[in-house]
Amino acid sequence: MNGSRVLRAEVFPILASACLFLALGAGFFLLEGHAPVALFLEMVKSAFGDSFAWSETLVKVAPILLCASAVVLPAKLGLVTVGAQGQMNFGAMAGTALVLSMMNGSAWVVLPLMLLTASLGGAFWGAVPGVFKARLGVNETISTLMLNYLALQLVDYVVHGPWKDPSNLGWPASANFPDAAILPTFFGSRVHLGLVIGVVAALILHVLVTYSRWGIALKVMRSNQRVALSAGLNYERNVIIVMAISGLLAGIAGIAETSVMQGRLQAGLAGGYGWSGFLVAWLSGQSFLRIIPMSILVGGLLSSADALQLFAQLPSSSAIILQGMLFVSALVVMNWVKLRGYHA
Amino acid sequence: MLDSSAFNISDLTVSSLRSSTPILLAILGETLTQRVGIINLGVEGQMLVGALAGFAATLSFGNPWIGLLVGALAGVLMSSLHAGLCVGLKANQIASGIAVLILGMGLTSFYGIPYVGQKIHGFHHLLSAHWQTVPILGTFVSQLTPTVIIGLIATPLVGIWLYRTRTGLIWRSVGESVQVARATGINPAFVQVQGVLIGGFFSGFAGAAMSVDYTRDWVENMTGGRGLVAVGLVIVARWNPFLALPAALLFGGSEAFYLRLQTAGVAVSPYLLATIPYVVTLLVLLVSYYLANKEGGAPQGLTAIFR
Amino acid sequence: MKFKSILAAIGLFAAITTAYAETKIGYIYVGPKTDYGYNYAQDQGRLYMEKHVKDVKTSYFENIPENADVERVMERLAQSGYKVIFATSYGYLDPALKVAKKYPNVTFMHSGGFKLAKNLGTYFADIDDVMYLAGISAGASTKSGKLGFIAAHPIPQVLRNINAFTRGAQSVNPKVTTTVVWTGTWSDPAKEAEAANALIDSGVDVLSMHVDSPIAIVQTAEKRGVHVVGYHADASKFAPKGWLVGAAWNWGPMMTKIVESIEKGTWKSENIRGSLATGDVKLTKFGPSVTDKTKALIAKKEQAFVSGKDPLWAGPIVKQDGTVVAAEGTTMPSASVEQMNFFVKGVIGTVQ
Repeated sequence: MNGSRVLRAEVFPILASACLFLALGAGFFLLEGHAPVALFLEMVKSAFGDSFAWSETLVKVAPILLCASAVVLPAKLGLVTVGAQGQMNFGAMAGTALVLSMMNGSAWVVLPLMLLTASLGGAFWGAVPGVFKARLGVNETISTLMLNYLALQLVDYVVHGPWKDPSNLGWPASANFPDAAILPTFFGSRVHLGLVIGVVAALILHVLVTYSRWGIALKVMRSNQRVALSAGLNYERNVIIVMAISGLLAGIAGIAETSVMQGRLQAGLAGGYGWSGFLVAWLSGQSFLRIIPMSILVGGLLSSADALQLFAQLPSSSAIILQGMLFVSALVVMNWVKLRGYHA
Repeated sequence: MLDSSAFNISDLTVSSLRSSTPILLAILGETLTQRVGIINLGVEGQMLVGALAGFAATLSFGNPWIGLLVGALAGVLMSSLHAGLCVGLKANQIASGIAVLILGMGLTSFYGIPYVGQKIHGFHHLLSAHWQTVPILGTFVSQLTPTVIIGLIATPLVGIWLYRTRTGLIWRSVGESVQVARATGINPAFVQVQGVLIGGFFSGFAGAAMSVDYTRDWVENMTGGRGLVAVGLVIVARWNPFLALPAALLFGGSEAFYLRLQTAGVAVSPYLLATIPYVVTLLVLLVSYYLANKEGGAPQGLTAIFR
Repeated sequence: MKFKSILAAIGLFAAITTAYAETKIGYIYVGPKTDYGYNYAQDQGRLYMEKHVKDVKTSYFENIPENADVERVMERLAQSGYKVIFATSYGYLDPALKVAKKYPNVTFMHSGGFKLAKNLGTYFADIDDVMYLAGISAGASTKSGKLGFIAAHPIPQVLRNINAFTRGAQSVNPKVTTTVVWTGTWSDPAKEAEAANALIDSGVDVLSMHVDSPIAIVQTAEKRGVHVVGYHADASKFAPKGWLVGAAWNWGPMMTKIVESIEKGTWKSENIRGSLATGDVKLTKFGPSVTDKTKALIAKKEQAFVSGKDPLWAGPIVKQDGTVVAAEGTTMPSASVEQMNFFVKGVIGTVQ
């Protein structure tokens, strides 16, 4: 691959997407009567301007990155899951159950067990649509969507019902987690262990998918089922495995938000991270390496929404519009490039 | 102690129809879209755009019929983005649909602000007051609104069109295989664009039905996930417009039912009751896959996306 | 000479800027400020306060969920030189306490909470008094004796309103029952309309609600020809015939007083509770069907509330299952009113 080819295939699409996005965003700001350059600079400042901005962006990166990995891995087998949201909720619920039963345990026991049960909970909520797919062929996009709503209602149920803690004065939430159940944070900020787990998981999965026998098997199963079958590869079993790992990752994101961010289980813990993770996975072309910088970008975009409200008095929905514009820009450019054959 | 008056059969039927109608319309549109081999997860975004545009048009023109029409056209406009991305640029359909969803949510929340708290005049009762005194039929007819009737009429029309007309056949053949269709002289891209836009028309109309007819209200994100659920219900209906009504009733009916359980004094957590629509839909989805023995009934063109 | 005039100019400039230094005040809303409900009322208070207090500048954040996001937003406001932060949603309490500890020079005002810190106070208003008064109009106008209440989530503020509404109605018609339907979400107009229809089908002829925006329910009531008691804001234009009366907020004067006391340095951390007497909550205008007799009854009870002679939560207060919470002659302490977790007798529904 020579230099100009790399330039065309790798750099050009990113630059072009960025330009299209900035143009669309600028048009939107102008329409609303704001100077685009100044506003974009304010946004960058509030996402990456100082250590506080960075820490708050990274706080968002942790769940986004884990949810993105939860989308990318199934995609390696050709599966499209949108279930990270539900898996976060269910994983958080499972982890909370453990914490509530060990309120006086030491951190050395509680933390690993909490992460383990949350992982298992998320994995279970991911494996269920995996089994549906493997045994009955049920479309996984649809079943994960339904399971999202179900998990949401279950969390609502436990925090309003059996787990509602009287010390919250009637507020629907579980008891506060003891200090032993709070994941470690770094640099006096809210950046927590979840970020490290997210980065390490993405790197390990990258290595596994690219270099291991299993990764090659996934590729074969995705591209040619008949060959896969004759090579003795079990597609059904791998569907379940891949979906379970995907749920496990989201489950960790869920318990991290619950433990560090909320300090207790309460509704709304997953925010919109499932969707943001999906966005990141697609913007990165389903690559475990690219989702790391892309999560930082999208996390920054989300926390830069503060600037839109604070300096331009734009409603919070303007941040959602910008997210949509970013997605459309990337889709337009990436596919235009593909159609013109640069990638070949 | 249960109060059985909450389960009066004609009341339950009417309320199920009422809460199913927006979903039914969205399913019909998405069925047509998926029949030409394209899935559009942006239905929710298109419904929101239709709801806002329909509400705004009703407010300025004072006529709910114009509101419904404008809402439907706004849905078409929003879906043209999906058509351009998927058919024009061959973008991934799931990703493109979610882009439409996010944009629709953001744009309507943003531009809908001046319409919150505004009053519009919706449709009048279909029949004059003395009809309402007629038992059973009275409650039935007097509470049905125009969009419910339109949904009920549209369902068989779409079915007949798809299965009994030449253009319906062409659409289905494009959904089965673009290559074969092209070989027989059909322009598949043209048909697929039409399929996406008609889906936009129906979902925009569905959104407007919610804001203009059902609630006469505009609130941001008022569709509350119904558009996403509709995409799933297309599969429950096995891509068959005739089955769209039972599929919609499955969800809308169980929503109406669980609210009614509470009026009967059932002492179960409302959050557990609220899982009923999703659990029922999931179960039927499983059963329908089981019966159809894997992928049956799906347009062949779609299976490529899901692989 | 030149140097002196420059110094003078600088001095003058400094004097002007200190004199005109604005107090920056931040507001955080859980929903859109245009919801025609809870957040709208808070925002109306902000606009009123901005108009009535000199040298203040306000900013607001909308749609900030009650999760980790609000902590960031509060820190950002504190770091950007905001001196007062109004955290207007119940779920912001614990994050506000956390951030308040970190920024001792910023004053936090939380809406509805019942915990304090050195630089964090709370404010709310006893709107349940008004719901009791509105309940009187419901009790007087119901023919079936069945009232309906559509509500989002079982939290203390909501339970207080439902119980107050029911007791108001029972004060004129002891046999009245209130059936509660939970929607599980603060805003879903289609579900709210369907809940209204379900209640009306079961024989309910007066509706009330506690969701973000009353509009869908008020209109459904009007369409079906039943009466309705509004909440959060005056929605009488949506039900010209069926409107009875509503309970509405009036945050402006209270917020003005709070900010003035902060500017003067007389602010102290406390749980401020407005009332009918202070005008922070009020009845909206009556609908056409409310009789003069009922109005007089309501006015009399309002006087009793205002004078403090006959508080709302005076016994006997009996739970759904018959347990006595406050016996005749005693009054529920405000701490337990603020944590209410039960339905009174006559309410049909579950608080789980």
